[in-house]
Amino acid sequence: MKRKLISAIGVAGMMISLAACGGDNGDGGGKAGADGYAGQTLTVWVMDGSSPDQWQKDVAAAFEKKTKAKVKFQVQQWNGIQQKLTTALSEDNPPDVFEIGNTQTPAYAKTGGLADLGDLKTEIGGEWTSSLNESSIFEGKQYAAPWYFANRVVLYNKKIWADAGIKDTPKTRDEFYADLKQIGDKTDAEPLYLPGQNWYHFVGLTIGEGVQLVKQQDGKYVSNLADPKVASAMQTYKKFQALSKAPKDKDEATPQQAEVFGKGNVGAFIGMGWEAGIAIKANPKIEKEIGYFTIPGATADKPEGVFLGGSNLSVAAGSKKQALAKEFLRIALSDKYEGELAKINGVIPNKESLQSNLQGNAVAEAAAPAAAGGGTTPLIPEWAAVENAPNPVKTYMTAVLNGKSPAAAAKQVEAELNKRLAQQQ
Amino acid sequence: MTVQIERPPSGPVGVANKHRRGSAGAGPRGASRARGLVPYLLLLPACAVTVLLLGWPLVKDVLLSFQNLNMAQLIQRVTEWNGIDNYTQVLTGADFWRVTLRSILFTAVNVVVIMVIGTLVGLLLARLGKRMRFTLMIGLVLAWAMPVVAASTVYQWLFAQRFGVVNWVLAKLGWESMADYSWTSSQMSTFFVVTLLIVWMSIPFVAINLYAATTTIPAELYEAAALDGAGGWKSFTTVTLPFLRPFLYATTFLEIIWVFKAFVQVFTINGGGPDRLTEILPVYAYIEGVGNQHYGMGAAIAVLTILIMLGLTAYYLRIVLKQEEDEL
Repeated sequence: MKRKLISAIGVAGMMISLAACGGDNGDGGGKAGADGYAGQTLTVWVMDGSSPDQWQKDVAAAFEKKTKAKVKFQVQQWNGIQQKLTTALSEDNPPDVFEIGNTQTPAYAKTGGLADLGDLKTEIGGEWTSSLNESSIFEGKQYAAPWYFANRVVLYNKKIWADAGIKDTPKTRDEFYADLKQIGDKTDAEPLYLPGQNWYHFVGLTIGEGVQLVKQQDGKYVSNLADPKVASAMQTYKKFQALSKAPKDKDEATPQQAEVFGKGNVGAFIGMGWEAGIAIKANPKIEKEIGYFTIPGATADKPEGVFLGGSNLSVAAGSKKQALAKEFLRIALSDKYEGELAKINGVIPNKESLQSNLQGNAVAEAAAPAAAGGGTTPLIPEWAAVENAPNPVKTYMTAVLNGKSPAAAAKQVEAELNKRLAQQQ
Repeated sequence: MTVQIERPPSGPVGVANKHRRGSAGAGPRGASRARGLVPYLLLLPACAVTVLLLGWPLVKDVLLSFQNLNMAQLIQRVTEWNGIDNYTQVLTGADFWRVTLRSILFTAVNVVVIMVIGTLVGLLLARLGKRMRFTLMIGLVLAWAMPVVAASTVYQWLFAQRFGVVNWVLAKLGWESMADYSWTSSQMSTFFVVTLLIVWMSIPFVAINLYAATTTIPAELYEAAALDGAGGWKSFTTVTLPFLRPFLYATTFLEIIWVFKAFVQVFTINGGGPDRLTEILPVYAYIEGVGNQHYGMGAAIAVLTILIMLGLTAYYLRIVLKQEEDEL
């Protein structure tokens, strides 16, 4: 019966294996000299879809020519990026340069994980558009370099719209809704693919209503979801979501909305211009059918509010290749390659003078009218915690879509949202 | 099954005494000491691996649970001790207790279903002819060998709202309303999918274990029982069951442990959602700790999880240790 003892020990062992949480201590990395880059490889993290293959190839070639060092691009997914980034930054070999979302930048600047780029700003950043540079500055210091900005547009399937007998793209929210209705009535296509948790679009709607998701109270940030203007933004979302068969409890990445659109039986979806590329990859035949237009607002003279998404490039404070990393930024953010990125992806570049690259770009022309009225979530270090899954804003959206009143839904998630905003840093 | 006997004069103690006497005298000290060390040397590799792979993370986890460790502390590699703050915060919140109760109920339901179906399949294996047994065995082993993440992903696809096979089949069979049913939108339907997955993956272990146990039962016992006029049920309860009991104990408690810490299945299927309603303790620890980048808090929840687990299995450990003692 010794085997019973053995199994008892096994049982004990298995319980212990319940606990597995890592985190090692040590000392930060040093710096490399200015010379001798040959043979070195710079690791750069870019987010899914943000930089086209052509751009990566061109930048890598220019970088190798100038420094003799190689650059390795690693594509990351937005979901779960904060946990991955935090862990990576704590290690001895963090990614040297990485793309970081503008709403997440202040929190990481506060952690001390981002290198001070003050000298780079003086050197190449004189013309950076100041409103786009706002998120990179924390307590007066430059912790990132603005890279590109973009807002959502409506991507639509021209064939389906034509089949439904619609001749022109809509100019107001009501027209948009009527057109989608018409598609629903006259074709067997799904008029709009809008999952319940496309929360960036929801943020855009709140910006259109002129309201923020959080407010300051006694010097602290707290939930503002109970604001009637937030409720009315949510009602708009709900009205359009009802036209879609998309799941109410998923976001636009599960499944990738562009892939669903690519199947060719969806009238339109709200997304980034470059998502067209995902649709085309899934179904090359869809390419000639894709059109873009500005998300229409309540009235024809003012487009819908949009979330002005953007990304910065940062250098890890723990990177041992600080000088080389800055060389990379000089090349990537140079007029030539910043312009190329704007041109290919139709995104807003970090300088006014480069906007000419957007001429004739269908995506950019659809996005530009809304950009002026765009905004972001509050650029405060406390915000990043809110975006961690399960994001209470997404929970709020699903609750309303499933029939709760906006007020009740706001009440339901308030505690969680406030807890995250007050979370010990 | 366990026969109570008078405790015999125990062998090892006598040997040890002899050794002690030997070493006190002028005898070959070195040789006997070396012989005494051999068992420990043989144990060493196993102990070293256990300490390294299980003990060290455990110690680390306990240490972390007394720290304020967030993004900044992790990135800058500073250690901020904060005493029992994490524990007070966890234990005074309603969330933790709600999740604990949910975990226990979830484990109970799963283990009961697994044990009942697993045992039945095990007994079926014992009764089947050679070819059918072989076929069933292969099926079981394949289900068992499937990596958890792969299995969870397949289940996610099966139960996907729009393009899932399950909804499609249900709709074809006449349940039109199931065509666009969202399995992940309510607590119970999510638990249903998770439970199905866990039960499916756990049955092979129980079944094969039980089948192996039945092969150790001597056939004469059944003959004797039949001579005494026992029917199928009677010989099952008087012959089969007593033989299977220790195996049932062991597998039940292993299943309790495995289901209790079934992080991957629950997390992959719906991330503990909707609205955090399907979070069980390990998922809760992950979301609070890693997801929310509040690592000290997550560690504290993990430590508490281990303690709860110990509590749940204490009964079993007691039986085993008691038997062990009885048999010495």
